[in-house]
This record gives sequence, structure tokens and C-alpha cells, in this order.
Amino acid sequence: MIDVEVETTRVKPCILVTEEANGSVYRGQDEVSLLRASLNGETEAWGEMVSRYKDAVFGLCLGFLRNRADAEDVTHDAFIRAYDNLRRYQLEKRFSTWIFTIAANLCRNRLRYRRNHPVVESPPNLAGGRDPAVIVEREDRWQRIREGLSRLPYNYRAPLVLRFYNDLSYREIGEILSIPEGTVKTRIHRGKAMLRKEVEREVIDHA
Amino acid sequence: MLENEFDKLLRDALRNEVKSAIGSLNGLETRIVSELEGRPPRLRPSDWLRQLLAPTRAGRIGQLAVVTATAAVFLVLGVFLAHETMLVPGSERLTPSLTATVNREILFVVPALDAKNVAVVGDFNGWEATPLSDDNHDGIWTATIPLSPGRYEYAFIIDGRWWGQDPLADEYVRSFGEYNSVRYVGQVGDGA
Repeated sequence: MIDVEVETTRVKPCILVTEEANGSVYRGQDEVSLLRASLNGETEAWGEMVSRYKDAVFGLCLGFLRNRADAEDVTHDAFIRAYDNLRRYQLEKRFSTWIFTIAANLCRNRLRYRRNHPVVESPPNLAGGRDPAVIVEREDRWQRIREGLSRLPYNYRAPLVLRFYNDLSYREIGEILSIPEGTVKTRIHRGKAMLRKEVEREVIDHA
Repeated sequence: MLENEFDKLLRDALRNEVKSAIGSLNGLETRIVSELEGRPPRLRPSDWLRQLLAPTRAGRIGQLAVVTATAAVFLVLGVFLAHETMLVPGSERLTPSLTATVNREILFVVPALDAKNVAVVGDFNGWEATPLSDDNHDGIWTATIPLSPGRYEYAFIIDGRWWGQDPLADEYVRSFGEYNSVRYVGQVGDGA
């Protein structure tokens, strides 16, 4: 097991651009260099890691929690918690798997809290485009999927989000959710079947 | 609807939702950087020990001085505790009021007969799962984790389900509306 070692000397950024010219001297650096710099307390390097992974983490949180404000909070907390515990990160693990595991556990905690403190979800935004009729129909189908997803139990929703938003393998999903790979496959299969049924029922109800 | 069509619809629905909401994350990295400014990642107990034993600016002599001073503190502490715990005729054994700073092997046990996967998450592992094992397949899952003295909040995850009320815990707390277990290591109520 290889841990990220504490560097006794500061890791100097090795790209020949000025901070002003490029926004950040850490942009373009590989992940290991960024993590080592972060371990030395270079918070700007961690900022670059946040910048690279925030969309994926936010997507996971939004998919799991089905609430934008909660997803924003948990995304922020996940990066703070990951930084605090950075010395526990092992290089043989993919960084994405590690940060997703932290985010998934925080989401689970937040969902438990929300069971007793429900909130009303803000209405979805319609995306802009050229043909309003096509957009409305497409948005309507997406909206039905999202509503169906919100009604699915967490145990089925979470693997679906990790598979279809984060594009993860069954093995990685199992690792993040602490369930065996076989269970991941079953839950994705059943989850999709349940979601299809939900969406079709919606169509019939609206007809 | 075909299987592939449904997969694409699901994928697009999720991606579009994130795309329309992602604007609210603008400046997240700046906020996090300013929040973390001047605060390095937490040290693990092993790193703390390594730092303590690392050569100081004064070189080898400085390092020896640190080790000698630490040994002297432990010696004085040992003599003090030995004195405190000596049996006095007609009295109870005195309990030391000071706690040791060394790690203790804390056993986490949970019965889960038909479980396939059991893990413990807590503030000692950054709420990342540490797996428990059941080598003899008797349904009793265990893990031993070295912990330094302090208060630890934790819960078990049994086949993906949260289980926050460990009978061996010292107390329980409500976190986000559900229970988590708490153990005190090296303090009053220490079950170790």
C-alpha cells in the first residue's frame, strides 16, 4: 500500500508561465504533483483539484440528493473533508473514486437528515434553444426521468447516477457504495426497470 | 422504448440537469482556497510521530534531544502512574486521571448473519469505509483500528445500509436526524 508521502520540501510548479498569464501556476500540472503540493499546505493546488472535479462531484450529489441547494453544500463539504483527510488517500486508488466515496457518504448523511426535515425542491430551469416545441418535448421527457429518479429508493438511485452520470464501472460503484459488484449490477438492472415503469405511469397519468 | 434509447435518455436527463445548475458553483474553488488558507491537511498519528523524530535544524543532536526529552516525560509519567495505581490497604485501586497519548487497538464488532459486506465509517477514517471481516463465517464481523485517545463518532454500513447504534458504544448522537455511535478512547467510558 503506497501512501502519499509528506514532502519535506515544497513542490515547485514546473511550468514556465506566470500566474497572471495563466490564472493559476497549477493549471496543467498532473494530479500527483497537485496532491503533493496540497499536502504541503499549498491550498491553491487544492483549488485546482476542486476546479477539475467539482462538476463530477456536484453531479453525483445532485443525482443522489435531488435538491440543488443540498448538492451545493455537500459538494463544498466533500472537498473540505477530503483536504482535511488527504493524508489517508492512497495513490493506488483513483482520486475520483476516493472523492466520490466521501461525497456519497456525506449525501447519505444529508438524506437521512432530510427525511426528518423535508424541503420543497425549486422548479427546474428550462434550457434555451431554437425550436421551443422540440425543446419543451425533450425537456418534458428529461423531467419525467428526473421525477422518476427522485421517487426511486436511494439504494437504486445511487448506482444509476454513478453509472449514467459519472460513467463508472460496476467495480468502482461497488467500492464507493460499499456493496459487492454483483449487487451493483442487480440494483442498476432493477433500478432501470423501476424507473421505466415510473416514467410510463407518468405518461399514462398525463394522457 | 429500446434499452439503449432509455439509457441515453437517462444519461441526457442527468447531464442536462447538472449543466443547467452548474453556474451556482462558480467561484467554489476560490471560496474553498480562502477557507483553507493557512490550514494544512490533518496529520495522522504516524506522521506526527515521524515529524517528531525527524532531524531538527540543529542536526542529530537536536533529534536526540527531542527523543531524550520525550523519553524523560514518559518516564516521569510512568513513575507517577505507578505511584497513583499502587494499592493502599483498605482502599480501592486509584484510577489514573491522566490518559496515555499512544494509540490503542480498538475492536469494532457487529453481528450481521447474512451480510455480504460490512464496513465502519467514522471521523477516524474521514467517513471513508474501513471493511470488517468475518473469516470464520459465523456472522460476527470485526475490525481492529488503532486510535489515539479522544472522542470518535462512527457508524457501520451493512450491505450498503447505515447502522448507527452499536451496542458497544459509549453513547449515541443524532447527526442529520439519525443516530451515530460514539466511543471515547483513553478516557472515562473507554470500552477498550
